[in-house]
Amino acid sequence: MSLLEIFDPAAAPRPIGIDLGTTNSIVARMRDGRPVAMTNCDLEALVPSAVFYDERGQVIVGTAALRMAAAHPSDTIVSVKRFVGRGAHDQETRRLGTYRFAEPANEDEARSVRFVVGNGRTVTPVEVSAAILASLRQLAEDELGSVGGAVITVPAYFDDAQRQATRDAGRLAGLDVLRLLNEPTAAALAYGLEHRKTGLFAVYDLGGGTFDVTVLRLDDGVFQVKSTGGDSALGGDDMDRALAERLLAAMDVLEVDRSSTGGREVVRLALDAARQAKHALTERESVVLTLPKRGGGEANVTVTRAEFDALIAPLVARTGVACRRALRDAGVAREQLDGVILVGGSTRVPYVRRFVEELFGKAPLGDIDPDLVVAYGAAIQADILAGGDERREDVLLLDVLPLSLGIETMGGVAEKLLPRNTSIPAGARQVFTTYADNQTGFELTVVQGERELAADCRRLARFTLKGVPPMPAGMARLEVSFRVDADGLLTVTAKEILTGIEQDVTVTPSYGLTDEEVEQMLIDALDHGESDFEKRQLAERRVEAERIVMATVAALAREDAGAFEPGEREQISDAVAGVRAVLNGVNSRMIQARIEILDEATKAWAGRRMDRAIQAAITGKRVDDVGESVAHARGVDAHVAEHRGHKSD
Amino acid sequence: MACLDSYPGMTDAFDSLGLEPCFDLDLAHAEERHRTLSGVLHPDRYVKSSASERRLALGRAIEVNQAWRTLRDPILRAECLLIRAGVPVGEGREPKPSPELLMAMMEAREELSDANKLRDFLAIERFAASMKLRERELVGSISRAFAVTPRDAVALTAVLPELGALRYVRRFLADADAMLEDRES
Repeated sequence: MSLLEIFDPAAAPRPIGIDLGTTNSIVARMRDGRPVAMTNCDLEALVPSAVFYDERGQVIVGTAALRMAAAHPSDTIVSVKRFVGRGAHDQETRRLGTYRFAEPANEDEARSVRFVVGNGRTVTPVEVSAAILASLRQLAEDELGSVGGAVITVPAYFDDAQRQATRDAGRLAGLDVLRLLNEPTAAALAYGLEHRKTGLFAVYDLGGGTFDVTVLRLDDGVFQVKSTGGDSALGGDDMDRALAERLLAAMDVLEVDRSSTGGREVVRLALDAARQAKHALTERESVVLTLPKRGGGEANVTVTRAEFDALIAPLVARTGVACRRALRDAGVAREQLDGVILVGGSTRVPYVRRFVEELFGKAPLGDIDPDLVVAYGAAIQADILAGGDERREDVLLLDVLPLSLGIETMGGVAEKLLPRNTSIPAGARQVFTTYADNQTGFELTVVQGERELAADCRRLARFTLKGVPPMPAGMARLEVSFRVDADGLLTVTAKEILTGIEQDVTVTPSYGLTDEEVEQMLIDALDHGESDFEKRQLAERRVEAERIVMATVAALAREDAGAFEPGEREQISDAVAGVRAVLNGVNSRMIQARIEILDEATKAWAGRRMDRAIQAAITGKRVDDVGESVAHARGVDAHVAEHRGHKSD
Repeated sequence: MACLDSYPGMTDAFDSLGLEPCFDLDLAHAEERHRTLSGVLHPDRYVKSSASERRLALGRAIEVNQAWRTLRDPILRAECLLIRAGVPVGEGREPKPSPELLMAMMEAREELSDANKLRDFLAIERFAASMKLRERELVGSISRAFAVTPRDAVALTAVLPELGALRYVRRFLADADAMLEDRES
């Protein structure tokens, strides 16, 4: 770390990458073109993903929180990632654990798990995750002075609700989330760039709570995901649970009373002992644990590696099913793979390594730290997105949708709109009509999953369309567009084709929090509520306005006079001046309005620039060389118009 | 609510990728083109741009992804070419499948479902292999039809029955795959 970085009070904001893990979290950044993990005062990079809520409402994160887990098993939330984006009655809440869950009072509350912690306070997984992220942000700020955007990694197999919840947590932690990046892709990015690899790779990522497998092609800086599969509730925690069940039996605890403090303490003890035994068995053939017995006395329990292997075999076998499917989906035989990359702490378990080797028919690549590689990838991606490293302009991550998206039809069947492993961003459109005269609205339920019946998939959200112009039944033509962005997040818009009226779409998520709830949490989290929130919003608007002005001015300077319609350039310059005039004011709505005017003024020009870039890419020329010759090139919009015209005749 | 139509394509796939329309497409070249255009249009390239530019790029990146998804699939590729030639496509718009095809597919499906009930996965694999052969024949014959009359709408309608048959074959293969996948769980 250079002195300049410490003492420069006006340090430019620097992008960071965050691996928000089930067991540990890591924040990394780029230094001299290489990713490095940031460490706390004890020089530890791994921050335990543990959050302790005390009696007085204080929140403690990390190692200090983990120390409280034994004495306060229900006030210390570990492995919160397993609950992210899950409903109050999710199966996960019934597995062996130490938490107290709030019984939802109504349907709204049932959309999220709620932990009851110190002093009867309830917190959602989004808030717990936000506490971890905020502590990582603090760690980064201590070193960098100012943090710019952040890339947060998520399991590739996370569905829309889990991704949305992670993004909400980032927002709540005060982070500008540049991108949600899939963990295996992040690992491949860090690994592939480091070793300048080319070829077909499988990433086997078994973490504390989630499993992913991704098959991807690395080629000249382009990372193209072919397929992904996994289980967002399978990991080291399940190994601990399997062993803990056995330990509890040895302690003569045959039935755990989770409603009592004592019962939860016993479970915590068994889970911790199981984890320690698991770690020890990586190096040793057997381990002896001394555990208290019910009714007094102690039990010496010997666990051999063979016994442990037998306990986890069914869990590990489940990863095999997902791997074979991922290979099939990618159309790749295991012999074609150039390498298998291991990611996640659970891949240290010898049985898992052997299993992977047998499954893929080759020894996994062992020269990467499975704990840090994901955070490294996130830091690299954050740097690329923030435009920090010009040399990496050729790096591109092309990812896929992990689970099919569909809509629930009349008979309760899930009709697939976008199949799993579709490249993202992705979109689909569907046309609906009304079934009653003068019907002005209707509802759509979007589901995610591979099963045939909607009830067996995850119901993501209900979309309510309103404002359909009154017409006889069957006349209206409602075109509903589904878009999945590069974060894997879904948005739905709708338009009535005959009138061209854009429909108002209200989203009622089945899981997680609504935008309003997140906003309210943001306000609550700030010392001076509303006024702080407005200040933050103003600061965010200013940053955005400055960014757009800078980008526009730079693009204007590069452009020839001939590239504009008469008067267009002046209009753009006026709009830029308009934004600048209000930039230092305190009215964030005014700034927003001026941004929108600039946006409108540059729209057509942006479209032409994009056409030129496309043309240049196709002909293999640099953009500057293409110039006038493509001024009349047909844009994609022209194709759309032609295609539409064609369809209607 | 009633669903009227589902059309995955937004823009003509060949146009989106800037490729000469033909059925016997050089897939490696098309994939390369998809990657080149993704490099220009991917949202990662527009993180710092204005909202409308981001939206525009997102829309086009979606089109380019969709185009590659369409062109690498023989059924969707054929549909795209037929639409270009002015031949209406999609089940419901095309002539009904022949009774012979329906009978043959019904029998094949009965055999498949019997094998599945007996959990005779070797038999399922055998049925799938022979159906794959049929798939290859159909694609070959569709390809020949497009080679002879690439733009003649009347002549191209002759492709429709084969395209219909190919859809049946594809669904059969998808179901067989699902059965084989169940073997593991």
